[in-house]
Amino acid sequence: MRVFQQPDRLTPPLALFLFLVLLATPAAAKPPVFELEIRNHLFEPSEISIPANRKIKLMVYNRDPTPEEFESYELNREKVIMGNRKAVIFIGPLKAGKYPFFGEFNPKTAQGTIIAR
Amino acid sequence: MLLNSVIIVLREFLEAALMISVLLALGDGVPTGRRWAGWSICIGLAGGVVYAGNIAMVSDWLDGVGQEVVNALMQIMIYCCLTLTVVLFSNRRARTGGRMVFLMMTSVSLAIMREGSEILIYLSSFTDNPELFEPILLGGMVGAGIGVSVGVLAYYGLLSANRNGSSYASIGAAILIAAGIAGQATLLLIQADWLPSRAPLWDSSGWISEHSVTGQLLYALIGYEATPSSIQAAVYLASLILPVILIVLVKKSSNLDE
Repeated sequence: MRVFQQPDRLTPPLALFLFLVLLATPAAAKPPVFELEIRNHLFEPSEISIPANRKIKLMVYNRDPTPEEFESYELNREKVIMGNRKAVIFIGPLKAGKYPFFGEFNPKTAQGTIIAR
Repeated sequence: MLLNSVIIVLREFLEAALMISVLLALGDGVPTGRRWAGWSICIGLAGGVVYAGNIAMVSDWLDGVGQEVVNALMQIMIYCCLTLTVVLFSNRRARTGGRMVFLMMTSVSLAIMREGSEILIYLSSFTDNPELFEPILLGGMVGAGIGVSVGVLAYYGLLSANRNGSSYASIGAAILIAAGIAGQATLLLIQADWLPSRAPLWDSSGWISEHSVTGQLLYALIGYEATPSSIQAAVYLASLILPVILIVLVKKSSNLDE
């Protein structure tokens, strides 16, 4: 089919390009790790200070038996964390400032802030 | 709690409902019939149950970023299927319903699998708590109802124009939805640290907040982000342009054949 020739011809270079982009992603120094717990639908601690302008690795431990979704519009992050499980979320580099986050399944209680300074 | 469940379920339903409406509107011009949509919903729901049941395992893959990567891969597949769908549709001679139906079914099944699994996981967190579960379920049904209604409105809205007008509107809407999905995939890969993270290119949260109804609607429709990074914006733009280029190229080559 003539119609399919165009997309086919474009696909291999596109795939190669994407592969190279992934390879080119710099293996920077390991980001510092910060930890956060969910207990009784609350974040502990509810405030975390992190260095500004630096990527960090946030480990979220869900100590509740129920799932929760870590969500933040300000951080552009969203991740489901099942009960009694942990999750890795990479954050930043952030400009200095306050970045609220919440648990989407229990937004009334599960509230927290990341403070970059 | 009730309101929250309305919003959560509505958000997931809205994305799926808009995609189905736009594809149904495209399919009407071929025509492809509508039975494919029902099958896609069933396949998607079955997939969603399996995915939700295994999400804990998936999350642990790839050093804890399996969830992001698998979701991003699904989004990329949806983007490719939607792009090929509009390319096939806009080339009149190749309007063979069969291929389009396959592509549309794949897009909708994957979308429902991902969004359905999120709703199932949400609901599952309240099954042990009957006092909460009832209002949550009720709220969820309200959210689902609103989402489906918006989809139905979008479908008849798209078809209300004349034949050419509704074709262009449906193609445009499909491309916007597809680009939004590609943008979301980029964001997930940034979150997984598979793509480099950069400072936001702009901040329009003061203008249209992602918390607001408008922000949520725009998110479902075009993948709106108030603070996108440069990579995300670049991918979004490229994802918008690629289907247009393909449509033009394919049309040109088919004109040469004549």
